[in-house]
Amino acid sequence: MSTKEQPKQGPEQTFFDEPAVDRVLGVVMALATEVYVLRDRLRTVERQLEKGGQLDRGLLDAEPSLDDLALDAADRETYVAGLMQNLQGLQVSKGAAGAGGKHD
Amino acid sequence: MTDRTMDDRSFAVAQALILETKKYWTTRLYPALKENYQHKASLQETPPQTVADVQALIGETTDYQVYAWLERHLQRFKYSGRYGLAPYHRERRDELLAPLAEMANSAGLDTDDNFEQPKYYRAVDIHQHPGGVWSAETAGFEYERGARSTTPMMGGKHRDLHQRFTDLVATGGTPSRVLDMGCGFGKSTQPFYETFGEARIDAIDLSQPCVTLGAWTAAQAQAQNTRFRQMSAFETDYKDEEFDLVTSTMLIHELPPPQIDRMFDESLRLLQSGGRMVHLDFHELPDVFSRFIHYGHGRRNNEPFMEPWAEMDVVTVLKEKGFKDVKVHSFSEAEGVDAINSPVWRFPWTVISAVKP
Ligand SMILES: C[S@@+](CC[C@H](N)C(=O)[O-])C[C@H]1O[C@@H](n2cnc3c(N)ncnc32)[C@H](O)[C@@H]1O
Repeated sequence: MSTKEQPKQGPEQTFFDEPAVDRVLGVVMALATEVYVLRDRLRTVERQLEKGGQLDRGLLDAEPSLDDLALDAADRETYVAGLMQNLQGLQVSKGAAGAGGKHD
Repeated sequence: MTDRTMDDRSFAVAQALILETKKYWTTRLYPALKENYQHKASLQETPPQTVADVQALIGETTDYQVYAWLERHLQRFKYSGRYGLAPYHRERRDELLAPLAEMANSAGLDTDDNFEQPKYYRAVDIHQHPGGVWSAETAGFEYERGARSTTPMMGGKHRDLHQRFTDLVATGGTPSRVLDMGCGFGKSTQPFYETFGEARIDAIDLSQPCVTLGAWTAAQAQAQNTRFRQMSAFETDYKDEEFDLVTSTMLIHELPPPQIDRMFDESLRLLQSGGRMVHLDFHELPDVFSRFIHYGHGRRNNEPFMEPWAEMDVVTVLKEKGFKDVKVHSFSEAEGVDAINSPVWRFPWTVISAVKP
């Protein structure tokens, strides 16, 4: 079948008052699927390592000590900052904002 | 192996997640929406009478928006997301198609490379299946895999539905010449060729990849009595009065009303006197809420003829054509299902049957 004969795609169906929500939710679902696929792979790797005696599940599942937590403190802080900054609308570059700070 | 972007495990796990989400939608979101609706309806002076009334009552609520979004997009993810059925099977094209090559000169398969597809069939990608169930060479495999979870509550037991339908048909007698119209990859045909081993069975569908897979599956099952052909249900090449049973499963709602009419005419022509026509489809809707939900489902699933078919007064249509013993009744797809007031989402399964005088 040539591309000329291909049926036209669409139209997009939207369900929320604000159509951007429809699209954002799609991103969320796609991410959720990726997280689940990763989770499954990680679990499978763990099981295989454990079977081969290369992983101590007790150690892996135990509550980390304060020292362990401290080891990753900086990483945690950067991670959280990277997430939360998005909610603040903080600007990092000079720009030419339109009326009311909004762009057309 | 080399060109693959998706490993088998990730595909299966992502599909399992989509199905699990669909189950939640079926058993939690739908009942919550229905309860919500019933509450709102009870506060009205006159309860909603039409689909438009239901739309006015809950169409703009967030619950319904979320429900509708999920119905459309879970189906999209199932077929065409990163872990979709279409990309998964298409990147395995060569391995999948290799075994089917042996069907090329088989008496059990009749296809036509120059087959002209009807316009309505080309115009819409039904089920949001990219390219429909017919244009990709692997479309039959894609549809087969997808159909394992069409009815989310039935899991791998989808075959039960088809077997139950065949069993119902068998209570009306044992046919000797059977036509299964819109057979797909043969899921509806299989219980017929297994149950009626003495009968000669023809299965027809527009989709070349589907009938090819159906014929191959029947060959694996050693079914000598069955032939799969690429042909339209409303325009066949059989002679008058060739069959004593004409059947279809989930075909009618995929046809535009004029083609439904022609398909019924064709059924009448093909049947012997006393022969039966028995179709399983979606039709009987017990209340206006179910109707609203079903019409929305049709739109969201790219099935534009769901609604006009559900609106059709099929009893009158069939009687006017000269059929007798016309019956239309709800069908329980599994043991113990309440077809009239199901607490969870379900298709409005309906059996439409009639006899040629
Ligand atoms: C939902 S599927 C059902 C398949 C099968 N009967 C089953 O129960 O699994 C509907 C099928 O009808 C076929 N179809 C649509 N229009 C048709 C027509 N005019 N003639 C024959 N088949 C048609 C489609 O190609 C598709 O395979």
